[in-house]
Amino acid sequence: MHIVFALVVVAAFGLFAWNAWRLILELRMGRLDDSRWSDVGARLGNLLSIGIFQKKIFRDSVAGPMHAAIFWGFCVLTAGTIEFLVAGVFPSFSFAKVLPGVLYRFYTINQDVWGALVLLAVSFALFRRITKRVKRLMGAETHPNDPLLILSWIGALMITMFGDQAMAMVANPEPGIGLLRPISAVIAALSSVVVSPSAALTLERLFWVSHGLLVLSFLNYLPYSKHLHVVVSLPNVYLSNTSGPGQVGVMSAMDLEGDLEVFGAKDVEQLSWKSLLDGFACTECGRCTSVCPANITGKPLSPRKIMVNVRERLEEKSAAAGIGLIGRSAGGTAVTTAGATTARALLDTYITEDELWACTSCRACVTECPVSIDQLSVINELRRNLVLGESRFPEEILPAFESMEQKGSPWAFDPADRAKWADGMDIPTMAELHGRGEKPDVLYWVGCMGSFDDRAKKTTVAFAKIMKAAGVRFAILAQEEKCHGDPARRMGNEYLYQMLAKDAVGVLNTYAVTKVVTACPHCFHQMGNEFPQWGGHFDVIHHSTFIEELLAAGKVPLRADLHEPVSKFTYHDSCYLGRYNEVYDAPREALKRALPVMELVEMPRSRDRGMCCGAGGGRMFMEEHVAEGGKRINAERAEEALATGATTIAVACPFCMTMLADSVKARDADVTVLDIAEVVAGRLAV
Amino acid sequence: MSNSNNTFAFAESCLGNIRRASLEAVTAARQVADQTGGQVHAMIAGAPGIGQHAAKLAAHGADVVIVLEHAGFTHYNPEALAATIAARITSGYGAAFFAASAQGHDLVARSAAKLGVPYASDVTEFSIAGDTATVKHPGYTNKVIQTFSLKATPAIISLRAGAVLPKESAKAGTIETITSVIDPSSVRVKVTATEVSGGAKLDLGEAPVIISGGRGLKEAANFKLVEDLAAAFGNAAVGATRAVTDDGWRPHSDQIGQTGRLVSPDLYVACGISGAIQHLAGMRTAKTIVAINKDREAPIFKVADYGIVGDVLQVLPVLTDAVKKAKSG
Amino acid sequence: MKIAVCIKRVPDQDVRFKIAAGGKAVDEAGLKFDMSDFDGYAAEVAIQLTEKAGAGEVTVVSVGPDAVQETLRKALSMGAHRAVQLKHDTPVHDGYAIASALAAELKEGAYDLILTGRMAVDTQNRSVGAQLAELLDRPYIGAITKLDVEGGMVKARRELEGAFELVECTLPAVLSIDEGIARARYPSLKGIMAAKKKPMDVRPAQLGAQRYTLESLELPPERTGGRIIGEGPDAVPELVRLLKEEAKIL
Repeated sequence: MHIVFALVVVAAFGLFAWNAWRLILELRMGRLDDSRWSDVGARLGNLLSIGIFQKKIFRDSVAGPMHAAIFWGFCVLTAGTIEFLVAGVFPSFSFAKVLPGVLYRFYTINQDVWGALVLLAVSFALFRRITKRVKRLMGAETHPNDPLLILSWIGALMITMFGDQAMAMVANPEPGIGLLRPISAVIAALSSVVVSPSAALTLERLFWVSHGLLVLSFLNYLPYSKHLHVVVSLPNVYLSNTSGPGQVGVMSAMDLEGDLEVFGAKDVEQLSWKSLLDGFACTECGRCTSVCPANITGKPLSPRKIMVNVRERLEEKSAAAGIGLIGRSAGGTAVTTAGATTARALLDTYITEDELWACTSCRACVTECPVSIDQLSVINELRRNLVLGESRFPEEILPAFESMEQKGSPWAFDPADRAKWADGMDIPTMAELHGRGEKPDVLYWVGCMGSFDDRAKKTTVAFAKIMKAAGVRFAILAQEEKCHGDPARRMGNEYLYQMLAKDAVGVLNTYAVTKVVTACPHCFHQMGNEFPQWGGHFDVIHHSTFIEELLAAGKVPLRADLHEPVSKFTYHDSCYLGRYNEVYDAPREALKRALPVMELVEMPRSRDRGMCCGAGGGRMFMEEHVAEGGKRINAERAEEALATGATTIAVACPFCMTMLADSVKARDADVTVLDIAEVVAGRLAV
Repeated sequence: MSNSNNTFAFAESCLGNIRRASLEAVTAARQVADQTGGQVHAMIAGAPGIGQHAAKLAAHGADVVIVLEHAGFTHYNPEALAATIAARITSGYGAAFFAASAQGHDLVARSAAKLGVPYASDVTEFSIAGDTATVKHPGYTNKVIQTFSLKATPAIISLRAGAVLPKESAKAGTIETITSVIDPSSVRVKVTATEVSGGAKLDLGEAPVIISGGRGLKEAANFKLVEDLAAAFGNAAVGATRAVTDDGWRPHSDQIGQTGRLVSPDLYVACGISGAIQHLAGMRTAKTIVAINKDREAPIFKVADYGIVGDVLQVLPVLTDAVKKAKSG
Repeated sequence: MKIAVCIKRVPDQDVRFKIAAGGKAVDEAGLKFDMSDFDGYAAEVAIQLTEKAGAGEVTVVSVGPDAVQETLRKALSMGAHRAVQLKHDTPVHDGYAIASALAAELKEGAYDLILTGRMAVDTQNRSVGAQLAELLDRPYIGAITKLDVEGGMVKARRELEGAFELVECTLPAVLSIDEGIARARYPSLKGIMAAKKKPMDVRPAQLGAQRYTLESLELPPERTGGRIIGEGPDAVPELVRLLKEEAKIL
């Protein structure tokens, strides 16, 4: 019996190991990415906080504790499973022999308690899935039967575990065992009423065999299921991007000089192996999709589908290449001929152009994912292929591309008008200061919207006034400022981006600029975090932080109106300021300092859960096609802001300004949208 | 009969009707002929019966009206026409005038090439002294005025509409009937059909006038006012802002702006449009911009040549009536 | 099908031009140059025709200094197959001279189609296409807004004052392309890389005598904008007067 069991265990683990090796081969189809091995400290930190302590899982207050119970239970019960398997081969083995009594009792009690918790959690999860239609768990790309099977499987594991323990107690009652396994003991006590000790012995064997088979088959089912997640999640968290605020959202620099066959990614081979691992780690929980502004408003994008597609395509492609999982090689996923596989690709066959262009690059999906999957980098790579490889993009982007190239701004305005807002303000240009051999404290990078858009120009002027009032010695580049190409990069046009970014870095380096302030979060992110790729190392500060620091230092002369009526504000987080750079407090603090009597109310979705205005990722330059039953992203956000009852919506980004102001205006609401700088400038002592 | 003091003018017609541009060309030729002491020979071509316009050409200064009538000239027939004109001009003229119209641009280039000379295109001012013509011609999207000298005989010039105002100066207008030097019906490019525009909806890219509406119109039904004004102009197309097309008041194809059509018509009338960056990017190169908006601070007024501050719903009907009157009178 | 497209390098028009010292050229400082818009449409039409046929060759030709090579490269990156620079280092304004140089180049090579844009957006003369057709003695259709080339036949829609004509002719022919048929594609990076390896011939431009020469440039009075002429319906008569007398539009 034990020899048979040993053989079964060896076979099961052999099969699993073989499939695991196959999965590694599949990952190796992806692009190399060597950045995943360094920075062990931060990786261990993530493993602990996001992995072990389930930090992100708890962002959902219902599913969070449920999942944590199952996860922690699994960790604890794995010890029991090891004991179970070893004892199956060597019947005399027990942790009791190697552990001191206290520890052993701690172990056994935990087995019982966590077993019960897992059973409860699994039952709740099944109940929830079957009776409640949880929106985020649904979607065409999901495999809804898989979780039912897996949850039942786990439930059966727990039942057979308790059955085995309880029947052993009935068959062979030992004094004091109830203290070791109290829950099993209660079950034993109850069942001893109807089960005789001899029947219990048979039942115990039955439970034992079932439990063993369930454990081993569960293990081998995982690679074929989205619940591979169980195995891959912790490594995925460990290997996730650890570069921290700012750097985490940096797009990789493409080598455009090299003889690239494929630009960006058209298929899974061009994605990094880490993106492929992301596909394995995804368990279709849908938290990403549930926070995706495009998805919420009825657009075709679902970040979860992107990851499911990556995995499905990898399965298809690896099967065709003969390195798929056992049983999958012979055309498991509708692959019949080699021709069919080559005509198919991740792009178009699985993921459509419309899905990719719907993305606002807001990073909500990446931030929300409990296992640190990076959906956005897949989207970005596919966009690159569309634009660089095939010149395929919504036609309305064309003027933006052409204008960036020709006029140094995505809008076709005369570059000569760039500094028109500064007429009569006596603001020196870098060239003028340079000519006099002077250097400013800080360069004010105005940005294209701040320079050309009439609404944003008001923010520009307000911020300049604040700096002047605070005695900041600043200068502008005027006509020498040109778009740094960030919109082009976000829209996949790395070629245009690099051209513009290198030019901009060149200009800044000519003037030996060290410190830059800007009122645009996109400029802020690009210049501070991505310019180092081109030799531009500048201390870049967003104006909200800059203003907050000036206010904190008491440098901004404010009016001391004591009878200011209390006004109600809400603040809308910009994605590139917030999730990309984790600047959440500075704009709020600036508001509070400027308006001590103001009441700041938060929207339900704020800070790192903040919802995008709809303009990021180049969406500003695209049409928003609203489907039946869908709505515009800015409408969704404006409604949320208006629902707070605030009379002023404060923003810290010219793009957010346009999107929200448009939508507020369309609703005829008597609410103003103001930039942080305008609010503060409105309080300046004249 | 001909000498190099004489000046040639081609009188353009369309489907049997003489065009105002013809009178401008004849008037210009008259100016030159008066200076050189020669005659003006004006040529008109068309289906039989086109010669009836000879009197009008004579009234504007044509000493001789050259009439070329043939069924093959019912439609614009550049091959036969250019060949015949070139043959005629070869007989000796000091200067020749054409209209810089769609037809005229085509015809003058072909005629000059047949004569082996360059010509001055789309001219707004000219003077001829000796063997040199000096002309002004706007270039760079009409943002720069170029002055050229043309040293070729004859000096062939095509005139931009309005460069010379038609002036009466009655001359004999002796009719000289000629025939085409090549068979007008055996040309290489054949016209199979003609669509008269105006009935059909004008494309935004082609319309010389665009009347465009924004959210200031309050509701979709009020676009009727914009359409009425466009109809009053006759040569106008209707555009809209992104806000309006987003709301489904107008089809997306009507959208003017960064994400829609980029247009530069001769006249752009912005009705109830505030002038967001997205919209300005698509229309600010229009030659003349009129803005009607109730908000005096609206950015559209910064680019508008003529602004009216007021409720677009009140202003539009009045403007439509006034335009109708101006067009008919 | 062998197609030649004549293209011109022009400054981006969406700026306020300044006149360079000497008064004979626009100040090129800060100006960006690109293919003239209509030439871009013509190049796109040519490329689409060969793509549709799955065969053929598109040759792009430009008269000018070495800087035009950049513009020719752009056409190559869009998908044209080879380029010819007819080198001439000083600006040429004589349309007949340009047409002559192009004719000298294009009379050989058995081109089925020669395309030009309706006009160059800088000089706005609209003269080269028709003159080139005359010099080559080929059928010519100007200002085409719709085009169909099949079985050796060209079917086109051209715009005349107040009317459109549907016309047809046989190949070989010279056509000038107006807007509305095709928007110039945005070159993919793949196309840009490929363009670097495509052939570019340089030959002197055989212009002949230039008899149409630029004497001077001047700027028209600057547009002011921001002029509010009145309030409400009462301002309409003044608006109509200005449209009539000042803008000369009514």
